[in-house]
Amino acid sequence: MKRALPFNPADYFTYVLDQEIRDAGMPGGYCGLALQLAAEPDLSALQQRLDLLVERFPKASAIIEKRGKRYAWIATGRRILLERHRCDPTLDQPQETQRILLDIFNRPESDPLTLHWIAGRSGGTLLFNWLHPLLDARGAKIVLDFLASERPERFQESPSLVEAKLAQWGLWKKLKLLIKAKRHNTQANSVDSCLPTANTQGQQTLKLKVRRFDIEQSRRIAETARQNTGLTGRTLYYLGCFMRAMERVGPPHARAGYCIPYAFNLRRQNAPTPVLGNHVGCLFARATREQVKDRKGLFDHLLAEHSKVVREELDVGYLPLMWLGQWLEPAKYAKLLRKQHSGNELSSLWFSDIGDLSWGKAGFLGVPVTDLSMMCWMTLPPGLALLVGQLDGRLTLSYSYLSPAVDESWLDQVLNRMDKELLESA
Amino acid sequence: MKEKLKTFIFSELIYHEDPASFGDDDDLLEAGLDSMGIMRLIMFAEKEFGVTLPDTEIEPENVNSLNALERWIKQAG
Repeated sequence: MKRALPFNPADYFTYVLDQEIRDAGMPGGYCGLALQLAAEPDLSALQQRLDLLVERFPKASAIIEKRGKRYAWIATGRRILLERHRCDPTLDQPQETQRILLDIFNRPESDPLTLHWIAGRSGGTLLFNWLHPLLDARGAKIVLDFLASERPERFQESPSLVEAKLAQWGLWKKLKLLIKAKRHNTQANSVDSCLPTANTQGQQTLKLKVRRFDIEQSRRIAETARQNTGLTGRTLYYLGCFMRAMERVGPPHARAGYCIPYAFNLRRQNAPTPVLGNHVGCLFARATREQVKDRKGLFDHLLAEHSKVVREELDVGYLPLMWLGQWLEPAKYAKLLRKQHSGNELSSLWFSDIGDLSWGKAGFLGVPVTDLSMMCWMTLPPGLALLVGQLDGRLTLSYSYLSPAVDESWLDQVLNRMDKELLESA
Repeated sequence: MKEKLKTFIFSELIYHEDPASFGDDDDLLEAGLDSMGIMRLIMFAEKEFGVTLPDTEIEPENVNSLNALERWIKQAG
């Protein structure tokens, strides 16, 4: 029998969502990080690194199988082949690149990790595409660093940080946290969430809109975020601004309030290890529609809620819940996780912040990284995800959405409003 | 106090190849201490040193180095 590499509780959490996305006829829980490079990197060196990745981290080309009651990666040893694409040089290069990115992203996929070079007239785009149970967004940056590093031996696999955290606690502590987290969930599920989709029927295509802010605008947004939500709340600022943008344009599926889950990562900043796996817990930003109408009041509320959650250890309280969830079938787990008391969907939006990225002067394999965008599949509802990242001090907001479920003209209005909310002075 | 803070920071929040070489005035924010990390650090300090660090005082000048953190915690104590 081939060696099984077990899921950790957070891997299974994302697998549950992957299955729900597949069951709705979409490719699955895939995420993409696209880096625009100023020139073509050494593609044969990149292929050699991909081979080394599979050799050192066999999960990178493994398949998922059920083993007993739980799921695991089964290594195949298959190579990951760098896929090459070329933009039509007669067409607008950014549009052509985005068309190819989305063609790749919308195709049926079974491999957990693929890498693509999309050659443009000058330079091109490197797309790193991964299945969420394989790794989280911070892990994606680590794998890219591995592919470009002069010292690949620095990158080691290590045990799951979620399981290491759980192992620090005795049974009573776990139970106490579990009860607290359950209460927290019950409270979250009691306010029905506004959704960006009114109609969830029919075949869906993933589309992408990217908003880029220059250094001065990004600095202004960071400063305004600090004034509104303090040093600890940059994520809350993005989420609050989005709630307000959606409220001011008018949510297509209007209910009592907004709920946006966001992850916190157990990985240490800048650590080259662990490489693969998900090492995250889950938090919720919630507000009623009344609270959203008052800008200052909303940020105060979100910050107070966040502080309370961390002080009461509810951030890590989700870990014992995820640990228990490992023994539930995906469909049942999904229902417990995300359905509100009314049966409505909990999430008004999927959200992730990859943080501040930089490849510095060394670039990626010696080539300057000039821009980035991100994309991900999500469940329907909500059919909309906001992925935030900052490259060398420049903020990028990437909105992935399902079409036709999300109305494009409505989304354009929300995005325009969001830009204004982000840049509004305190 | 600084040793306990340093051990927590480099074992839980920030990776550093040689934490021993990280000085008491070196910039923790530049080293990678992010918003979530600051919150976890505050929770650790409150529990470990029995103080309450007010949210209104979470400013760069209170968290940007080990010396700054120590000063802030002592003032709150």
